Amino acid sequence: MPSSETVERYGDGYLEERNLVQRWPTPIPQILNLVLLGALFYATWWIFQDPRGWMRLYTPYVGYMYCRWLLIILIWMVYIFNYWPFRRAWLERTHPVIKAVLLSAIAVAIMAVVIKGFFEGLLGNYGMAYFNPEQMQKLGITDFFAEEYAALAILMFAALASWLSPAWIVGMEGAPWQRERQPVRGLTILLVTFFLATIIFFMTMHPHMGILYEQWQSFAAIAPPWWHEFADTVSGNFHVSWIMCCTVVVWLVETIWERYPFRVIRHDWARRFATFFGIIAIAFACHFFLYFAQELWWGEAVRGTRRLYAPDWRWLHVGETMIFFLLPALFITFYLNNWPRKGSPTYRVAVRTLVTLVAAIVIYWLYYNTSHLFLGTQRGFSHPQQFPMIPTIWLINIMLINHWFMDNWPGWKIAPQTSAEAAKDETVLDPALKPAE
Amino acid sequence: MTDSSQSPSNDRRAFLRGAVGGTALGALGMMGAYSYSPLRHGHFDTAESEKTDIGAVRSLKVTNISETSWFSNADLIGDIRGAGGLLVNQYKFNWPPFADKNGALAEGSYADGIKHIKDDLPNNLERAWAFQMENAVHPENAGGYAALLEIEMRDGSTKKLLLDSGWSYDWIDKAFQREGIDTMLANGEIDALIISHEHFDHFWGFPVSMKYAPEIDVYVPDGFYEEGFQYVKDSGHRGKLHVMKPGLTPLFDGVAIYNFAIPIITRVYGENSLYVNVEGKGLVSVTGCCHQGIIRFAETALKEIQMEKLYGIYGGLHISPFDDWDPKYDDLVFTLGDYGFEKIGANHCTGLLTVKKFIARGLPVVQGTARFGSKDPVYLGNGDQIGFGREVPLMSPVSAEAAPAAYSPPASGGDDGAVQGATY
Repeated sequence: MPSSETVERYGDGYLEERNLVQRWPTPIPQILNLVLLGALFYATWWIFQDPRGWMRLYTPYVGYMYCRWLLIILIWMVYIFNYWPFRRAWLERTHPVIKAVLLSAIAVAIMAVVIKGFFEGLLGNYGMAYFNPEQMQKLGITDFFAEEYAALAILMFAALASWLSPAWIVGMEGAPWQRERQPVRGLTILLVTFFLATIIFFMTMHPHMGILYEQWQSFAAIAPPWWHEFADTVSGNFHVSWIMCCTVVVWLVETIWERYPFRVIRHDWARRFATFFGIIAIAFACHFFLYFAQELWWGEAVRGTRRLYAPDWRWLHVGETMIFFLLPALFITFYLNNWPRKGSPTYRVAVRTLVTLVAAIVIYWLYYNTSHLFLGTQRGFSHPQQFPMIPTIWLINIMLINHWFMDNWPGWKIAPQTSAEAAKDETVLDPALKPAE
Repeated sequence: MTDSSQSPSNDRRAFLRGAVGGTALGALGMMGAYSYSPLRHGHFDTAESEKTDIGAVRSLKVTNISETSWFSNADLIGDIRGAGGLLVNQYKFNWPPFADKNGALAEGSYADGIKHIKDDLPNNLERAWAFQMENAVHPENAGGYAALLEIEMRDGSTKKLLLDSGWSYDWIDKAFQREGIDTMLANGEIDALIISHEHFDHFWGFPVSMKYAPEIDVYVPDGFYEEGFQYVKDSGHRGKLHVMKPGLTPLFDGVAIYNFAIPIITRVYGENSLYVNVEGKGLVSVTGCCHQGIIRFAETALKEIQMEKLYGIYGGLHISPFDDWDPKYDDLVFTLGDYGFEKIGANHCTGLLTVKKFIARGLPVVQGTARFGSKDPVYLGNGDQIGFGREVPLMSPVSAEAAPAAYSPPASGGDDGAVQGATY
């Protein structure tokens, strides 16, 4: 194998190794970036999503599909492919705004190919009609619902991928392909996680799609779905719930938990399996606990009813609630340098978790009390077309673009690392375990 | 790979970290397991709350004035799609009667629309509607929902309630005339107009009721927007306006309104539904669209109202109004039978597919005659009646005289691909 000096690393280790320094004392950079994020969020929300705005993609499923797919493609580009084919020198020297525009444009182009080419064009025309609105329109479904149903199916794939792809990096540490060069590593992990996503899609959302149409597609899907007695609903929202919990827990483990407690396991494969399946176990605990919390707050769910008391909505709301935890966790890591940095790991993790919990509750309260005033959505909790995951994931996408593509510009800049800092990085963390910022 | 060296102190530290982490994860796991175990039911309040005695009536007859809110699903949902989806404010669509002269989809507003018709309300509705036919988005697609409740009281007297006032001035006025509602309103025979919610197909035909009875008591749900209240005024209403707060409000002996504070599509908020307690039979749920869900409506009644049992249903249940579907709707089809309703007169936004699934499931659905624009005899159609605590002919007497061809749906109204059957 060639030595590292002669091999182009692309963005491998870029997030860990770049030395981000604040341009001004705290809290100026944080406030500045928050303002920028807010402005970008609101401008793009108005252009693309807002029901009062320009493109009005928040139908809701069409807009939901695009923001979920943008998220997973950002994750693929950075976590799976390590910015390949962009060279390391280009990443380090190009102005953040140019990088953001170019890389975001590439992400959108990939998204269009995946949605229009792979799902609608290939699978929808030659495999399963429910991925293609035109195929469903031919079967007599109105244009609007044909688009909504197809968007739902396509976005569920993204939901699964946005759990499994980063989980393979965080949990399995990219093994056994972690030492492969790009794009071999990226392609392999992409194919493996997409394969896993496909299997889980067929076991979770395909039975949901199988009874979405009349007649029930009993020869093609298990109908009624296998989970309906346990989950108290035939809806696939039962799975949306735990899958969202998995997605959020992956990032909690990766960011504010610094991969604790799993990283203390010394044996490589034991640690990897413990992390991968530990994330799932924590997610299921959250899945059931947040459902129970709703029962305590609003009363027991009643099967067959609508809205606030419906089990399907309660499961969906578990996923919606989890995403509120992700926002402050990412903010702490991206913009507060994963504060606190001092003290024992137990202390650091505990403080960040507590701050995240409190912040999530505050954001949740703010969202449900004010969002209808500025997002063009409807007030109240259980509007059947209201998905808090759309604006929150939209904002997360913008945070990821700012942190991954823009190096936290304008509040931060990349500065050359001192030798002491580099040495510290080498000794504190095993590179395979080092949190990727 | 490890994250520490092998010294005894580091081993102890690693052991402690692992113990702390493992304990925390274990606790989290136990919490999750407990949260969905049968043990959790011990936390829920099962104490019987004090139930309200709303009284009782001898019988109830409901006449379906119009359940046909629109004629073409494709046109209506096409407009919604074109305007930006189900969260877009209904006053923006440029639908009748709030068409602006530009007539462009999703570029209207109440203020721009009402100025063209305000002077014609409520006494020159033909001219107001003619303007809509020229300028609105899909004016020919507007129909409307309205029902007449005739309540036989225990003292032998009769009270009448009008539930909703439709959408198209033209359509609902002709439907009123067909069922004699115009005369009843003009003679003061109808005690109140209950507006279930602010949706276009239930409320925007409000001036038609005002044309005949501007002094009538009107009940609207809390959650009406400024445009809605202004429309009540602009329509010439001069009677009492009651804004129903969330919860149960007895109206008179045996009848109560229940307001549900719920968000609804096209930026509407809050719905009024009616409970009518029929002596010796049980409770009847009468709804406009029942956006709260019929099971929620039934559960609320079981929890809050004294009754013998749940007896009947009339109205829209808002399951598949556009013959769309979602698997969660099957949860209702599975469970509605558990509530013991004996007569189900579900129509309108319940959706044909839902009703066919109800029938396939063996639920006691009262079927109709598919006249005056109703598409399918699978449920109660326009001009049909249903009795609770009394037997009534399926066709209202006046509509029976006019049937089968007194009115027909507009030529543009089309078949959207009727449901051919139903699973179960």
